[in-house]
Amino acid sequence: MDRLLEIKDLELHYFTSKGVVRAVDKLSFQLNRGETLGVVGESGCGKTTVATALLNMPTPPGRIVGGEILLDGMNILALSEMETRRKVRWEKISIVFQGAMNCLTPVYTIGRQMMETLQQHREMTKGEAQARIQKYTSLVGLPDHVLKRYPHELSGGMKQRVVIATALFLEPAVVICDEPTTALDVVVQAQIINLLKELKQRLRLSFLFITHDLAIEAEVADRIMVMYAGRAAEIGTNEQIYGVQGPTHPYTQKLLGATPRLHERVEELAFIPGTPPDLVDPPGGCRFHPRCSVAMARCSQDEVPLREIEPEHLVACWRAFHA
Amino acid sequence: MPETILEVRELKKWFAVKRSLSQVMQGERTWVKALDGVTFSVEKGEIFGLVGESGCGKTTTGKLIMKLLEPTEGKIVFQGKDATHLKAGELARYRGQVQMIFQDPYASMNPRFRIRDVLMEPLVIHKVGESGAERMAWAEHALEAVRLIPPEEFLERFPHMLSGGQRQRAATARTLMLSPRLIVADEPVSMIDLSTRAEILHTMKGLQKELGLTYLYITHDLSTARYFTNRLAVMYLGKIAEMGVADDVVDGPLHPYTKALIAAVCEPVSGKVGVMKEVPIKGEIPAATNIPPGCRFHPRCLYAQAPCWEEEEPALEEVTPGHLVACRLWKEIASGAARPT
Amino acid sequence: MRWTDLKTGLGSFWREFRKVKFGLVGVAFLLLFVVLVIAEPFIIPYSEASTRWRDITYWQDSPKSAQPIWVNWLSPHKRALTQTLTEPTMTEETLGAMTIKTATFDYYFLNAAIPPSDVILHCPMKGAVTFIVSLVRPDGRVIEIAKRPVRSSGLSDARFSADMESKDAAFSFATSVDTSAGAASVHKATVKASDVLFGVAEAGILRNPRPLNGMYQLVMTAYLSSSKDTMGTPYVIVPGRVSGLLGTDEAKRDLWSGVVVGTKWALIIGLLTSFISVTVGVIYGVVCAYYGGWVDNLMQRVFEVFINIPLLPVLIVVSAVLKPNLWFLILVMSVFFWVGPVKTVRSMALQIKEETYIEAARGLGASHGRIIFKHMIPQLIPYSFASMALSVPGAIVFESSISLIGLGDATVVTWGQILRDAVGGGAVLNGLWWWVVPPGLAIAFMGMTFAFVGFAMDAILHPKLRTR
Repeated sequence: MDRLLEIKDLELHYFTSKGVVRAVDKLSFQLNRGETLGVVGESGCGKTTVATALLNMPTPPGRIVGGEILLDGMNILALSEMETRRKVRWEKISIVFQGAMNCLTPVYTIGRQMMETLQQHREMTKGEAQARIQKYTSLVGLPDHVLKRYPHELSGGMKQRVVIATALFLEPAVVICDEPTTALDVVVQAQIINLLKELKQRLRLSFLFITHDLAIEAEVADRIMVMYAGRAAEIGTNEQIYGVQGPTHPYTQKLLGATPRLHERVEELAFIPGTPPDLVDPPGGCRFHPRCSVAMARCSQDEVPLREIEPEHLVACWRAFHA
Repeated sequence: MPETILEVRELKKWFAVKRSLSQVMQGERTWVKALDGVTFSVEKGEIFGLVGESGCGKTTTGKLIMKLLEPTEGKIVFQGKDATHLKAGELARYRGQVQMIFQDPYASMNPRFRIRDVLMEPLVIHKVGESGAERMAWAEHALEAVRLIPPEEFLERFPHMLSGGQRQRAATARTLMLSPRLIVADEPVSMIDLSTRAEILHTMKGLQKELGLTYLYITHDLSTARYFTNRLAVMYLGKIAEMGVADDVVDGPLHPYTKALIAAVCEPVSGKVGVMKEVPIKGEIPAATNIPPGCRFHPRCLYAQAPCWEEEEPALEEVTPGHLVACRLWKEIASGAARPT
Repeated sequence: MRWTDLKTGLGSFWREFRKVKFGLVGVAFLLLFVVLVIAEPFIIPYSEASTRWRDITYWQDSPKSAQPIWVNWLSPHKRALTQTLTEPTMTEETLGAMTIKTATFDYYFLNAAIPPSDVILHCPMKGAVTFIVSLVRPDGRVIEIAKRPVRSSGLSDARFSADMESKDAAFSFATSVDTSAGAASVHKATVKASDVLFGVAEAGILRNPRPLNGMYQLVMTAYLSSSKDTMGTPYVIVPGRVSGLLGTDEAKRDLWSGVVVGTKWALIIGLLTSFISVTVGVIYGVVCAYYGGWVDNLMQRVFEVFINIPLLPVLIVVSAVLKPNLWFLILVMSVFFWVGPVKTVRSMALQIKEETYIEAARGLGASHGRIIFKHMIPQLIPYSFASMALSVPGAIVFESSISLIGLGDATVVTWGQILRDAVGGGAVLNGLWWWVVPPGLAIAFMGMTFAFVGFAMDAILHPKLRTR
């Protein structure tokens, strides 16, 4: 597999007045060229933090304190801010932020906003820029007249398409999508998911698709990374996670069990008692052990590494290793 | 004998929009028709779902039933008595019987109140309870019912000291304080983590059996609605498109809109990554100020034919006992005689 | 709100507040002012300064327009200090029915370049007594300061002031001695008696008197004509040119006492006005926002009327019609200051109104009053405190300005009143800087104190002004 993005032992901590929050703690994973890697987890697991880390712009008071992010072999964390801005951000890696559609400036037209972003990065004549913008707006299925409109005149779905177009027009290699469909209605959500699939094929993009919704992830991601408390609990292919066999990590199993189904009659949805751990002082050993129904003695004592149990399937669970 | 606890007849809520000068001159008025004639009934002890996308009118219905809004037209009948317009004293009694759980568990509680103040507030407002100690005891009771144990500890906390799931359970406890008959739950779990959602729903179901409660469950999530509700109504642009037992509607949808919704929902199963979702619907939701003529769904319907937009809007028709649909062509679509265009 | 809630709330607020440096400066000053107010009875030498500010008899023995005592430490020309001489040498003589009593006081005018401003002799007496008071100078010359009979049916205090009574004697003494050119043109009124009394007898004494250091004696001779006349032990006060921590004004009032007493009033005026006006303003703003519609419209229009009325002309008219009284002044200021927080509070309240918990409260059946007072206003309390702190300086300066133009309550000693007297007494023209600067600085400092405290509170609370 062609490793486009490789993350090794990434550590991002938030230095707050209440202590150091270890939001991302020795996280390792990779994104292959042309695939969609799903990052799934609940609130506080660190998935949005990973997105900010990949662009080397941690939200203050956060700081990247360790690890490497290799983009095509180059460690982007070693670059200066100026270089990151010119060579990496938006050029190679772009992002569709959570709720980005609501962050479009209300006082400028769509066309103007997109033009501004484009011109910040590229030396282009107005004509070239216009052409580029039009190419991408039509690629995301928007009519040309949208460029003359103001954000409040557009529907949620259209605004999200604008945001996606903006994330694409510099033709990056990686597009990070952080909850791109959460605020949208079901029908529009389906349309956007279709759009992303189409774009991935046509433009040969690689996506990092972050969401808390396991159902959406199943329909979008080739490989999935399940995060819990700043670490990866399980990484596997779509079939390994959602297939008949079922996932290996107890957390993933419970999470899947907690996802309601539309086409089956579910008698009882699963739930996990307790709350996610405090990341200032996380539990020793496996971070999930206090809430795990099958925890063993070892789980509370030894930190569990992420290990491959079958090709392309990695799990961080003592029980899984012993099985 | 099932007892109807709530009946809603042709309920409408139209909001007036500020007029432009030319409109004033011409004597016209633009209305946002948030709810445009909705009829359904809820039996005692059942969980009735209102499902739809944003702008369909489900939240407005909830607010009308909570009397946070006054209806423009139509009737609300609660426990056999007309509750459409109530005077102060009757309103207070009504409020004691009908309570609401809100979507955002943090925002629905005053951040400066301790949980005990949040819980005792309904008692204070309705002057229930002889003393502070008695009210405190009831608050503890309510927390035990929602499994926030030990209650004494939770009573002293502020909302921000609880997790999302705990807050929603505290909010549920608040609704129990006045021993209501009907609880309107507006997206109660959509802002809760997945792993805790089922716990809340489980608690709610338990309370229902224990206390003989009835729920009106409002959500956009069809999957959760199927899991939790007994019967549901699918709403579109202020009216009900289809209504019936949850399993029946989801397994055998009759209305094209319901079919589209079902097709659009994602399922956590493998093998769908390379496949484009086929959603049998076109266009976008029109503005509620500009409702299409005839069947309001026709511009987006793949099966629409001339009668759909020329003739008047189809009423809800009972197809099988308990399963109603508002579609002129349901027979043709179900049999396959009508083809999507 | 329970006490424990208040304590934890204050505790966390204080922790945040501590981080803002200038806030701490403000609090330090505030504590200083509070200490001044509490310690007032102990630290002012004239305990009745507050009530007897306008009573000239209370201040009669102080020097007029004396500079602060510490000026002496800073200047090479030492000024004489105020002294009280209490144990005179008494002699008594009888001449038939008449008794002659003589009291001699020793006064040392040393180590000072500038002589005292006056020599005052007090003598308790009853009946009809004739007094002669003379000053014996170190150079041997004697100047008669006062000579007059004093009649009193009951026990009274005979008071003789050299500055007031010996002008003629001093002037003739000076002219007899001063043979310099231009001496003749000096007018009697411009000559200060004590300059001459304590000056070297030489040419130029009228215009450039040099101090004559040495031991002086003040001799008082009292003639009691009959046995019905009695006389007690006299005492002498020699008021220096420096007096007190902040000097004295032209009416001989100790300015330190005045300024300290004024602190209390400044705090009362400032805090009371700001409390009333902010309370009214906040409630007004919340009610506007809560009810909306025509209520809001009407209240906004009323507000606009108030905010456009200029306070000063109104006050002038009101003062012309009614007698100015401090409490009335506070009331009027409150009536105009309340408009301050209204707009901001209204927009904050509009935001709060949209919060889900307000909707939840309505759903529970809460009354309008409950929602306004239990749910909305508590969210605004932090802002209210900041607003109160920031309006205190305004109120104080306002009152000072009003007093300055003569519309204030003259019975109360406020800093503004002191300034008014200063301007009226020609302090600026006569260079009596100690009369103008301390009250002015006090106003400025108190304003600064509350501004710092208010800004610090604002800085902490600002991110939380948005209710989440």
